[in-house]
Amino acid sequence: MLTPLEEEEIKFVAEHYASLDGAAIEALKIVQRHRGWISDDSLRDVAEALAMTTTELDSVATFYNLIFRQPVGRHVILLCDSVSCWIMGYDNILEILKRRLNIAGFGHTTADGRFTLLPHVCLGACDRAPVMMIDDRLYGELDADKIDAILAQYE
Amino acid sequence: MPQLTIDDHPIEVPTGTKVIAAAEQLGIMIPRFCYHAALGSVGACRLCAVMFLDGPVKGLQMSCMVDAQDGMVVSTTDAKAVDFRRQVIEWLMLHHPHDCPVCDEGGHCLLQDHTVSSGHAIRRYRGAKRTHRDQYLGPLLQHEMNRCIQCYRCSRYYQDFAGARDLSVMQIGNKVYFGRDRDGTLQSPFAGNLADICPTGVFTDKPSRYMGRRWDYERSPAVCIHCSLGCNIVVSARYREVVRLEARFNPHINGYFMCDRGRHGYTYTSAAGRPRQAIFEGQPADVDATLQHAAERLTSIARMHGLAAVACIGSLRSSVEAQGALVRLCNAQGWPAPAFFDDDERLAAVQTAVAQQHAQVHVSLRAVENADAVIVAGCDPIAEAPMLALALRQAQRRGATIVVIDPRPIELPLAFQHIPLAADQLAACLDDLITRVGTVAHDPGALETGSPADPLAAAADLLVRSRRPVIVCGTDLPNVAAIRQAGKLARVLRENRDSGLFHVLPGANAYSAALLNRGRSMAQVAADIAQGAVKALLVVETDPFHHLPNRKRLTDALARLELLVTLDYLDGPHTRKAHVFLPSTTIFESGGTFINQEGRVQKTAGALQGGTALRLVSNTHPPRLYGQGIPGNQPMPAWLMLSALSGESAFGSSADILQWLAREVPGFENLKAAQPPTGEDLLLDSAGRSEIGRHCLDVTSESPLNPPNSGGGLHLLSTERTFGSEELSCRSPQLIELESTPQARLAPSEARRLALKDGDRIALAAENGFYETTLKVADNMAEGTLAVGRHCHPDWPWDGRHARIADRSIKKIDQRETKINP
Repeated sequence: MLTPLEEEEIKFVAEHYASLDGAAIEALKIVQRHRGWISDDSLRDVAEALAMTTTELDSVATFYNLIFRQPVGRHVILLCDSVSCWIMGYDNILEILKRRLNIAGFGHTTADGRFTLLPHVCLGACDRAPVMMIDDRLYGELDADKIDAILAQYE
Repeated sequence: MPQLTIDDHPIEVPTGTKVIAAAEQLGIMIPRFCYHAALGSVGACRLCAVMFLDGPVKGLQMSCMVDAQDGMVVSTTDAKAVDFRRQVIEWLMLHHPHDCPVCDEGGHCLLQDHTVSSGHAIRRYRGAKRTHRDQYLGPLLQHEMNRCIQCYRCSRYYQDFAGARDLSVMQIGNKVYFGRDRDGTLQSPFAGNLADICPTGVFTDKPSRYMGRRWDYERSPAVCIHCSLGCNIVVSARYREVVRLEARFNPHINGYFMCDRGRHGYTYTSAAGRPRQAIFEGQPADVDATLQHAAERLTSIARMHGLAAVACIGSLRSSVEAQGALVRLCNAQGWPAPAFFDDDERLAAVQTAVAQQHAQVHVSLRAVENADAVIVAGCDPIAEAPMLALALRQAQRRGATIVVIDPRPIELPLAFQHIPLAADQLAACLDDLITRVGTVAHDPGALETGSPADPLAAAADLLVRSRRPVIVCGTDLPNVAAIRQAGKLARVLRENRDSGLFHVLPGANAYSAALLNRGRSMAQVAADIAQGAVKALLVVETDPFHHLPNRKRLTDALARLELLVTLDYLDGPHTRKAHVFLPSTTIFESGGTFINQEGRVQKTAGALQGGTALRLVSNTHPPRLYGQGIPGNQPMPAWLMLSALSGESAFGSSADILQWLAREVPGFENLKAAQPPTGEDLLLDSAGRSEIGRHCLDVTSESPLNPPNSGGGLHLLSTERTFGSEELSCRSPQLIELESTPQARLAPSEARRLALKDGDRIALAAENGFYETTLKVADNMAEGTLAVGRHCHPDWPWDGRHARIADRSIKKIDQRETKINP
């Protein structure tokens, strides 16, 4: 069941599109903002609200790597693994993050549910490589010293 | 018309033709995966690369994405192009599991062909392959995603072409996945085509899994007989068993595809319970001896009780040869003409439809696809002729507007306007359309007067503006008056448009049965038996218990017979009750001529030798049996046995029957031509033939446009379903899994009036008995109508398919009560 607030927000964005299914991505983002991820039940409810089949909506949801179809931690770390960051040693940052968070690698969530680590192809900040983004905030020119301080900001 | 050169061959093609299609016309098959003539180009697979040497386009290009233009010089064998295609194959094969030995596609796999022909024989990739979890997609299709090469044919076919919404493309990049959001049966009745269209083994035919390789099969062209459209098919048979059917391209009818009812309805022919032994006086007997006994007993009854004491029932699923031989038998013996149709209304409806048809007005399924406006009157395409729904979808995709005038809650895989109108108002509605179209034709200004809220005015407006309108008319629901008005509407439109008329008939050979039927209906025969006027009944390839709804009454009537002779390949009460049983062959064994609803004559040869499937008589692998003769090969073509019954006037060959029909029976004249002059299919042209019309005109001249509504209540309709209504396919185990539960559908206003709600169990009371079903409240249906899905073995207490039922005869069943007092 969508909450009344989610329903209202979806209705509002849907008005900007010629047909209901045009609002698929926005609607998924709205529900993800409230719930952290898109469960099968959420998918079904959003599909119903947009007069789509769950299969149709799932093809949209699974296309975008920032629509999460599995549960994620309270904060999502997107580490850039594209060319500039790769040249500037993103693999080093990855190793540090794995150690600090005590996780096996990309796609994993810390045991306390605090962080999920995901790869991302280019965050658009090559001049500050290597970069990562936590939730909505971008962190550049990363090194081992900075990371502890950054992670400490998130509960 | 651009002229170009491909591999040194000049060719001229219509503007807009892709280079890949132009090459095909020269017999050059450029390798391809994503391109398909029915689906068009997307340029996804990159395999059809060719070299453009000269002309407006230069260099390596995808031949499916480039329109043929004047002066193009194309090479498909250029070294760069060949090398490029080799590399593409190597990329596409990176993740392919190479499981050809256990893959059912092996042997007829496009990926296998192109991989071998490109010379890619050694895999250089050493990384891990991506793997997928397969899904359960229902009883018809096996899913095996690891084999996928991302050509997108399946999703383009399923979503765009077939209009279904429960299979799509998931994920991105090299994780791309073609499937559903979760396991589940594919909803489209056209899903089976995925097995044909997938260029590798991602979707394979499930019932025939592991049955053999393509080269193990006896493969023959045939015609589908599960509705009146006559789609073309290829039959694969092995070990005396039909294993698989596939669609065979026919430009006029089904194109590249077919429906699942046709694809999976074949199991009756190799079924374990199929009667294969002639039976006389309860004992297995020799066919010839049985025929002789049958002939003697029929003759003696005719001698004792008069010729009218012998009645014959023919079939809409029999070949023209069998139908013709039955008519000839009756003629020769002086018995009354055979009945082919279940009741008088149906007989009159189909004869009216056939008498309306005229080569200039009636059109093929392809013309429906190309129409710009279609009025569907009293027809549920997806249930009565599924491929018609697919054709309507293509028309709609090309911009046509589809209007369906029907009381039922019609569901189609396309956007359409539904005018829910009671069946008995259909004729008046069509008449209204004729008037409106006529008015506008003489006074274009009148067009503006139609209010947009009036759907009929909108439909008239649509017709007036159209260039290629088609009127589709059913024969199950509409009465004679409605069928006449539909024909008239098509003819009125014809005056200044390229209009067409398209009928849906109740069986594969209903068209020829309508031309041949000079006598009664089955219902009348049953009544005559009940009254004692008929003492002997010859039933040919039809189960009266399937066609006559009131089974109890029929059982009582048949018990009065002195002699019941049944000729059939199906097992049923009609064969079990028979005093004399003669096993006949199916279309797969003896072939035959079938005439579709358009009058298109299609001859098919047998696909396999008769005999019990090896699987049923041997449990070794490979199956084998030692001994003389083939078990279960007694069945003979119905026409041959009927011909034998007629004694001196026996036909020598099936071709003789067609010539006899051409000579003797009005409407069949075109059969005289052994070969149609152009190499095209032969078309019958029966319209305007007063001889054919005469019988039905007598029936129809009195039918009013608006029959009096007999005192309130509801019009109870028993309506066809896609799966589970048709006589042959309703026996298929894989289709039984797909059957929906028959429900009684009612408009919300009527449900409120009767204090019923969705999901209620209801009992419909008739004079002697009642029918129990579940109520479904459907928004989009006509008031005053209760539409019940027809079951193949109905326990229907009414005499007709349709009935009037009073409000008080509809009772809600209290489920609690039935639990306490069962």
